[in-house]
Amino acid sequence: MNVQPAMNPSGPRMVSETAKSLRLENLNKHYGSFHAVKDLNISIEPGEFLVLLGPSGCGKSTALRMIAGLEQITSGSIVIGDMDVTTVLPKYRDIAMVFQSYALYPHKTVEENIGFPLKVAGVDKTERASLVRDAAAQVHMEDYLHRFPRELSGGQRQRVALARAIIRRPAIFLMDEPLSNLDAKLRGFMRAELKHMQQTLGVTTVYVTHDQIEAMTLAHRVAIMRDGVLQQLDTPRDVYDDPANKFVAGFMGSPPMNFVEGEIANGTFQSRFGSVTLPNYDDTAAISIGFRAEETIICEPADAHFAGTVFSCEMTGNETIVTIQLDDSHVIVKAPKDYELPMGADVHLKLDADKVCLFDGQTEARVRPSR
Amino acid sequence: MSGLERMQNRGFMTRMFEPPAIGQMAFGTKIIVYGLLAMWTLFVLFPIYWLIITSLKTPAAVNNGPFFIPFVDFQPSMQAWYDVFVLDFEDTIRAYFNSIVISLCATALCVLIGSMAAYALARITYRPNLLTIIFFVICFAAVLYAVAMAGVDWKLAAAVGAAVFFFLARAIARRYKVPLGNGDILFWMISQRILPPVVVVVPVYMMFQSVQLLDTHLALILTYAVINLPIVVWLMYDFFASIPKDLEESAQLDGATMIMTFREVVLPLSRAGLAAVTLLVVILCWNEYLLALFLSTSNAQTMPILVAAMNAGERGILWWTMSAVIVVMIIPVIAMAALLQRYISKGILLGAVKG
Repeated sequence: MNVQPAMNPSGPRMVSETAKSLRLENLNKHYGSFHAVKDLNISIEPGEFLVLLGPSGCGKSTALRMIAGLEQITSGSIVIGDMDVTTVLPKYRDIAMVFQSYALYPHKTVEENIGFPLKVAGVDKTERASLVRDAAAQVHMEDYLHRFPRELSGGQRQRVALARAIIRRPAIFLMDEPLSNLDAKLRGFMRAELKHMQQTLGVTTVYVTHDQIEAMTLAHRVAIMRDGVLQQLDTPRDVYDDPANKFVAGFMGSPPMNFVEGEIANGTFQSRFGSVTLPNYDDTAAISIGFRAEETIICEPADAHFAGTVFSCEMTGNETIVTIQLDDSHVIVKAPKDYELPMGADVHLKLDADKVCLFDGQTEARVRPSR
Repeated sequence: MSGLERMQNRGFMTRMFEPPAIGQMAFGTKIIVYGLLAMWTLFVLFPIYWLIITSLKTPAAVNNGPFFIPFVDFQPSMQAWYDVFVLDFEDTIRAYFNSIVISLCATALCVLIGSMAAYALARITYRPNLLTIIFFVICFAAVLYAVAMAGVDWKLAAAVGAAVFFFLARAIARRYKVPLGNGDILFWMISQRILPPVVVVVPVYMMFQSVQLLDTHLALILTYAVINLPIVVWLMYDFFASIPKDLEESAQLDGATMIMTFREVVLPLSRAGLAAVTLLVVILCWNEYLLALFLSTSNAQTMPILVAAMNAGERGILWWTMSAVIVVMIIPVIAMAALLQRYISKGILLGAVKG
């Protein structure tokens, strides 16, 4: 699948002078007989924030490590700016990486940690000290310069790792699940900070995560991977509204898309639980219909498409999440916050027929209307 | 019965051995624990006490039976110390000096080579081919046989051997790969330590004899460095493997060379492990007896040999002078242990946490 980048998909953005483009061409990685990354083609513009998203073991971290130069490439090539870096040593690639574990040097103070890339580069002490202070100020860590990493909280360590990455003004920023070691509240806060920082710095960023919320909120574009294969590369909005296949639809969103198996005959989707009129689709024997929780309403039996029983009602504060049992599968819909029904009660659903997505029963590929 | 009632109705024994409050030790438990600790302390320290008072006894006081309290049981005398450090001053000081030089040099060599080997094993994946190794050993043995037994010129034998080996390696070993891994290399190294040294002592003796290095410091330094290498590699491998790889990868991305990464990141983090291993190897070298017995006569004689010699004179076993020498011999080890103790306890903890 060869995907070209859309022109500034999410509006105008800052681009730093040092930011460079990144191109992955037919990238492959084998570990013995295991094919970890298969024919990966991605092209990233300068200043773009790209998120590699997928379940664990899908090859996203391997792809990132290949960009960093920490992993040998089986075949294909990597181009940063206009330089082919496929076999170039990591230190000449002009990249900075934030590790999941932060990789702070435990025997060095915050100041020495942040200044390490400059020390290696041979920057003299006084210049280094002022640059370190600037970088620390950007992540609000200027009061902690003489502490050791063990004396910092998780969020503070994260900031130090970020400061160490931005101090060199790299061409490309790589982040490997940087927020996964933080607690839920801090993660939400750091997510906003990261997005703000990336936009003010205008540096090209590749960010790996398994959390679709992070991908949706941070990315200019999201690349969803599964078993080493790129499934879809698009803006968060398009990935959410217009998924390329059932895997993407089931991965994106919280709650993810609901599916009901059935068939299309005479322009109507039919299943054991009800039917939906879809005049624009061809007749198909095995198909599943996908619909989002927020595009489904609980209604009177007369208007209903599907009927089931209440499995549980969860009040979240601003709304109620209703899980509905359809034989052995569940669908999830959202109801107003004061909605309440006892377990086992009959319930009827109405879908927005214009917004449903259909997927082939065997290949799981998206089925588009033929008319 | 409620918890409160059960607590108020406990029997005497329960009160004695149950903690009176959370985080406190019961009176009965305290007595048993401190009693056991006191007994153990006595058990460990008494031999050292006995050693010190024996070095202060006259031969008569030693031979007339066990006396333990100076000035009460027996009259202390400096006779033994005078014998060892004034009359036999040269022998004692030479052995002491030899022990220090040999232990320190052997340890330095051993830790240097061993930690580099361990780091390489922990961070680089090797794929040695078993067939290549077997072919090499066979060719090498054939060359040795031809030179030693059949009287072939060594240059000719070496050239033919090398040619045959390269032919076999290229033609056969490359096609039928039986790859080994780092684990096999590590186990092979450790297996060298499983072998009892007494097995190799005669060949080692003959080797040093043929290069005329018997009774020199160099012979003992080399031998000690080699026999302790497996321990260093083994312990340091565990230590290096426990350092997160992320740290080194991060340094690499930041532009550091491999040497710089080792110096700036790996070495400071493994200080505790290096200290522990150094102390261990120093003690092993310091106490080594068997190889020193074979490889040294007088010039390179070490302390354990000097002590053992006092047991074999025509005057019987000289307990008093022996004690004096042993007291001096244990002082440096105690000093080193005290000096490095900070690192060692830290090292053990680090290992435990990182697991």
